[in-house]
Amino acid sequence: MTGPAILLLLAGLGAIAWVSARARAMRLQAVARTTGRRDTVHSLPGYHGWYVALWTLLPAALFLVVWANVAPSLVTQAVLADPAAQALPLDGFSRSAILGEARAIATGMQAGAFNPASQALVEPYTRALDKFGLAGAILALVLAFAGGAYAFTRIRPDFRARTRVERLVMALLLVASLLAIVTTVGIVASLLWESFRFFSMVNPIDFLFGTKWSPQSAAMGYGNEDAFGAIPLFWGTIFIGAIIAMIVAIPLGLMSAVYLTQYASPTVRRWMKPTLEMLAGVPTVVYGYFAALTIAPALRDFAVMIGISGASSESALAAGLVMGVMIIPFVSSMADDSIAAVPQSMRDGSLAMGATTSETIKRVLIPAALPGVVGGVLLAVSRAIGETMIVVMAAGLAANLTLNPFSSVTTVTTQIVQLLTGDQEFDSAKTLAAFALGLVLFIITLLLNIVALRVVRKYREAYE
Amino acid sequence: MTVERLPTDWKSEAMRKRIAGRYAKERRFRLIGLGAVVLSAAFLAFLLFTMMGNGLRGFTRTEIALTVDFPASPLLLDPAAITDESLNQANLPMVTSAVAKQALGPDADSLLSSTAWITIRDAIKADPSILSRTETIALPASTGIDLAAKSEGPPEAEAAVARLEKAGVLTTGFNWNFLSASDGTDPAQVGIWGAFKGTLLTMLVTLLLSFPVGVATALYLEEYAPKAWWTDIIEVSINNLAAVPSIIFGLLGLSIFLNLLHLPRSAALVGGMTLALMTMPVIVIAGRNAIKSVPPSIRDAALGIGASPVQVVFQHVLPLALPGILTGTIIGMARALGETAPLLMIGMRAFIATPPGGISDPATVLPVQIFLWSDEVSKGFVEKTSAAIIVLLAFLLAMNGLAIYLRNKFETRW
Repeated sequence: MTGPAILLLLAGLGAIAWVSARARAMRLQAVARTTGRRDTVHSLPGYHGWYVALWTLLPAALFLVVWANVAPSLVTQAVLADPAAQALPLDGFSRSAILGEARAIATGMQAGAFNPASQALVEPYTRALDKFGLAGAILALVLAFAGGAYAFTRIRPDFRARTRVERLVMALLLVASLLAIVTTVGIVASLLWESFRFFSMVNPIDFLFGTKWSPQSAAMGYGNEDAFGAIPLFWGTIFIGAIIAMIVAIPLGLMSAVYLTQYASPTVRRWMKPTLEMLAGVPTVVYGYFAALTIAPALRDFAVMIGISGASSESALAAGLVMGVMIIPFVSSMADDSIAAVPQSMRDGSLAMGATTSETIKRVLIPAALPGVVGGVLLAVSRAIGETMIVVMAAGLAANLTLNPFSSVTTVTTQIVQLLTGDQEFDSAKTLAAFALGLVLFIITLLLNIVALRVVRKYREAYE
Repeated sequence: MTVERLPTDWKSEAMRKRIAGRYAKERRFRLIGLGAVVLSAAFLAFLLFTMMGNGLRGFTRTEIALTVDFPASPLLLDPAAITDESLNQANLPMVTSAVAKQALGPDADSLLSSTAWITIRDAIKADPSILSRTETIALPASTGIDLAAKSEGPPEAEAAVARLEKAGVLTTGFNWNFLSASDGTDPAQVGIWGAFKGTLLTMLVTLLLSFPVGVATALYLEEYAPKAWWTDIIEVSINNLAAVPSIIFGLLGLSIFLNLLHLPRSAALVGGMTLALMTMPVIVIAGRNAIKSVPPSIRDAALGIGASPVQVVFQHVLPLALPGILTGTIIGMARALGETAPLLMIGMRAFIATPPGGISDPATVLPVQIFLWSDEVSKGFVEKTSAAIIVLLAFLLAMNGLAIYLRNKFETRW
């Protein structure tokens, strides 16, 4: 019996269980009411229905999940016990290749055999698959019936079916919220584990403080020393994400927020705010393409024109500029929030003393809102250094340790992409280095976020 | 000892100058603010115009009108019995080439796209009666001619275009192929359908996984969670997940989904799972805000007439909070839709020339397709990349528009 058929059958059984249990509960409760035991009636009939349906479905479903993991090895064992399997070669690789092909033919995923040896095994495979498929289906149905029957016999007017069903609902909600922890743990564990393997090949000191990055040479067998110095990457990341991008984003974002909150008419504000927010909604791959196609060549021509040496068509400036534009809405909305949180009385006081609006903004509002703005900028930096596509497409791959914004630099995220795409073997230091870089990136962004949130929260408390 | 205080002389020259200076500063500051807004908006406009300028050409294709005299052509087809098989055996590519050479000169093969015969086949299939008369059919031009006609191509193609224009056979048609084909090596023949279908499948997986989990988490944290150390941990991890760079999720997908669980590489399933982990915190945060805004009086009223806590939440709070949750979900999905980096990690950058049939088939998505095309050297890909970007942006705009519409229509101010 096939998987979908079993699932359909189970769903049908569940529906029948729901309907019949509900009907039975209704009848019993009606009897209870007419015989004067009205106060003993507890749950609505629908809850009895759900109770029995869940008892029908859940044990069977759990069994099917377990069975799906156990059955393949049982099938393989049965096939190996077959006389036709005696002719299999002994070495593991060709053995499993033949078995795999036979299975593919037996399940209809492949039309014919390349290897005659596997053709002989198709028949036993089909037999074993049928046998265990049927066994699994029967066991699942038996479980469904047993569970349903057990629950059905428990239906009584005063049975607290609702409590049971709700307990399960609560358990599901709890499990769902625990998934967030599981994900975090998964991220940390996978990063730590792969980084640990990397650091068993490369000295962490060399990695964190080395100034030469050329994983390609390590992959070609020149040794791991001197190949994984990540300082040029860290510098490139900071140069693009924390310096150039912020030089663009902080003034533009801050001044946009000031203008839109303090000067603009409501109509202008209503139209311009979403427009600026669209900058954050444009996919980063679009920004990357724009930077690579339009901005970078223009900047290179400009650099050549004013005579700067080392100008490259993939420059830190192009990536940083475009990234800064992308970050504007983050800075602007954080600044907006923190300016709005400054008490009106402070603003009124300053205006009443005769200060102009701009003096009030510069001397009162911004100093008062500064912690919030700083927090917003830190969040923006954490976002900028984790940004990938813009730098992959516009910043280049050369690990230069340079101050020249027109030359090509590379970043942590670019190198992660570079190391993990293309052909990869999962034991080389080259591939594992990506996870070590990921770990560094994760830790830095986490720290930035924690600090930023703390700054913002402290400041909020000050005014509440 | 007394100090003689004089009232401020507002009319004095120095004071006037000072006030004028302060007002000038005020105006300058205001202008700088306006400048910042305008500059940011101008950048957005510049980006959109560049994409439009490059991309709209990607939706059109250059066609060469070829007059085919079917009865005189060496085509052996019976108009009464046109089947796929007879069409395939009729040797249409050769015939097309021969007819084109007669009409356009000996270099016709380099003028017409190598798939031009398919257009003729489809024309015959659509209307077999044309086999008995002379018919003018617009055939797709080759990549070189297409480029030369739109902007600039190789010199020989430019010359050919000038010649064709003089003959008056050059036309422009809508490039349906761009919407129905998949990735390829010839920029004139690539399309976005494969990537689009991959996007749909990936988004479907993302939605099915992240929406129920996100809503359940939001409900639990907002309505039931006791104040305890472990609920604090849940809260902290959700807030952190929302801020983790997307590429880290790609690393997680690579090492857990692919290397540990051995799920299929570059499949929509794994892509959707990875994006779901990214989208879930967004839904949780939006959902919690929506649930928080449902007034407590509604809960109290329901509890007061005997509803159980679960009934209160599922029959009263959730329906009222749903518009807000849906808005947050759409915004989260829009972000996932434009995401590229984590999908590169799980191998979705492979060259895939057929649209995926299911969630476990190798697939690619629109942003990744854009990334792949942007790497192509051939000049014809520039307009295709920009055209794909237009499709992606239109898609995103539609989703965000839907979110705003939902918010305006269903938002309740309590």
